[in-house]
Amino acid sequence: MKTDASQSSANDEQLVAAARQGDMGAFEELVARHRDKIYARAFSMMRNEDEAVDLSQEAWVKSWQRLNQFQGESSFGTWVTRIVINLCLDQLRKRKRQRTESIEEMDEESGGVERQMPAVTVNPTERLERGELRKKIDAALGHLSHEHRTVLVLHEFEEMEYKEIARTMECSIGTVMSRLFYARRKMAALLADLKTEELR
Amino acid sequence: MNDESQIKLQAYLDGELPAGEAAEVRQWLARDAEARALLAELQNTNAALAGHEAEVKLPESREFFWSKIEREIGRQSAAEAPARKSFWARWGWRGLVPAGGFAAVCLLALHLANPGAASAEFVPELELASDDMGAYTYRNQEDGLTMIWLYDRTGEAKSGQPALMASSTP
Repeated sequence: MKTDASQSSANDEQLVAAARQGDMGAFEELVARHRDKIYARAFSMMRNEDEAVDLSQEAWVKSWQRLNQFQGESSFGTWVTRIVINLCLDQLRKRKRQRTESIEEMDEESGGVERQMPAVTVNPTERLERGELRKKIDAALGHLSHEHRTVLVLHEFEEMEYKEIARTMECSIGTVMSRLFYARRKMAALLADLKTEELR
Repeated sequence: MNDESQIKLQAYLDGELPAGEAAEVRQWLARDAEARALLAELQNTNAALAGHEAEVKLPESREFFWSKIEREIGRQSAAEAPARKSFWARWGWRGLVPAGGFAAVCLLALHLANPGAASAEFVPELELASDDMGAYTYRNQEDGLTMIWLYDRTGEAKSGQPALMASSTP
């Protein structure tokens, strides 16, 4: 492994330029810088450690192959994040095709009971300390279907607009709005209901 | 509150409504407590999520993770290399067959145009520009006959059929 000091001090743009010339050391430095972020995004969508590792690895291989397509319109980290998101969505679509859709899933897609429940009036996360809140949010996300979790992750964490989410998820803007609404309402209910013991 | 109103309230929160519709939602919120309660819930959820994504770290060392990526890049590059070679070999061969044939025909024309040179000392030489192409030459001195077979060495023409044959008689 290279531990070139000049690479450690170089910025992402310089490393990308070197990697485009075939410098694997520069690319390794880019991987080292962004690997946790890319893995975290894959994990947030897949909720499975092994799959997230495999998909983040695949995203890095693809990003090496497509380096010449990186135009610098976004940061390098954001660009690789988009690649891993697309890989995760492909994987989730494959999985969905393989399973038989149940009545329960159809109900969940449209919002089911939660859509009509009264609003949660008290802020359930108000008195939680930061670490506890993170755990609670992570646990609540794990209770959502992958469609609702994905739309929430893309909107809240990737800060995508409805239009961009629709394009990424290959669905209509109306579906995005509906899924996002349901996901938020379900999250509100889960954050209110999840006990501290369930987070451990 | 119907589904459409709920979705519109959310779009208002996310700043996805045009100015005119946003103003309508503000007026609606001013007179509807249920709408205000729903908006407050959505805002609380957003506030809870903002900046509170779980901190997850890749459960593999830098060296191990990189070694897998490096190996996969190497494997895919190696797999692509023969594909590229066969592409050029295929197109190169397609281009060289007529070129080689043209060269053979030129040699024969030269041979026919200079019958005096068709002596026992004159042995026409054919140089092939590609290692993938081979040639057999048959010459009958008595009849003054020369035959050249071109063939593909890469195995695409293993049938033994010559790709092109040229012959010349006085």
